[in-house]
Amino acid sequence: METKMATEICPTTTQGRVKAGALLVDVRERDEVAQLAYDVPNIANIPLSEFEERYQELPKDKELVMVCRGGGRSLKATYYLMNMGYKNVVNMQHGIVRWVQRGFPTKGDTSSVLAKNESASCCATPAPAAKSSSCCDALNSDGNPCC
Amino acid sequence: MGKCDFCHSFLNWIIVILRYDLKGSHLAMKHIKILGTGCAKCKQMEAIVNQVVTQLGIDAKVEKVEDIQKIMEYNVLTTPVLVIDEQIKVKGRVPLAEEVKTLLQ
Repeated sequence: METKMATEICPTTTQGRVKAGALLVDVRERDEVAQLAYDVPNIANIPLSEFEERYQELPKDKELVMVCRGGGRSLKATYYLMNMGYKNVVNMQHGIVRWVQRGFPTKGDTSSVLAKNESASCCATPAPAAKSSSCCDALNSDGNPCC
Repeated sequence: MGKCDFCHSFLNWIIVILRYDLKGSHLAMKHIKILGTGCAKCKQMEAIVNQVVTQLGIDAKVEKVEDIQKIMEYNVLTTPVLVIDEQIKVKGRVPLAEEVKTLLQ
C-alpha cells in the first residue's frame, strides 16, 4: 500500500480550521479525555484502541483535524483514515501539550500536561507524571502504552 | 558415454535441480520487518526476533521500520508489528520466542 505523506498543521492553524467548521477528532483514551479535554464546539472522541471498529462514525464530507496528546497517535490515525479513503484529514502536531502551552481553551486539569516528570523515561525525554505507564509519551511520539 | 557415466551425469542433474528447488522454496531468505516507533516493546520484539533467527540459523534479513509513513503502509494502529515476507504475523504485542520460532519455521 503506497501511503501519501500526511498534512500536519500547528495548534494555531487548527483554531482557524475549527472556527471554519472542521471537526476535531481526539484519539486519546477515555481516561485521558476525562482528565483534560479540548474545549471546542465541534469535537469527537474515538480512542485509538477503538479506532479500527469506529472510524466509520466520522464524516467524509467534513474536514477532520486529528489530535491527541503529543501528535504521534493522531498521526497514525490520520494515515489510517487516508488509507481508508478519507481525503480531507490533517494531523495537528504536538497535541494537547502545545495546545495548552499556547493558552487555547481546554476543560479539566492542565497540570498533567504542563508538569514535567524529571525521571528519565525510556524515550530519553521527560514524560508527564500522569502518564507514567507510557514510556512513549514524548512530543511527537505515540503516547500509547501499547506502542 | 558408458552406462556409469550416464548414471553419474543423471544424478548430478537431479542434485542441481533439487538444490535449485530448495533455494527457491524452503531455503529462501526470509524478509522480516519489525514495525515500531522506537518504544520499549518494539525493542523487545526486535531482540526476540534476532535471538530466534540466530538460534535457528535462518537466512533472514531483519529490518527495523521506525518511519511512521512506512509503518502506515501496512495500515496498523498498534505497534510493534512483526511482518514476515510482507505478511503481518503479530500486531500490537510482544510475541514469545516460541511463537516466533513457529512463525519462522
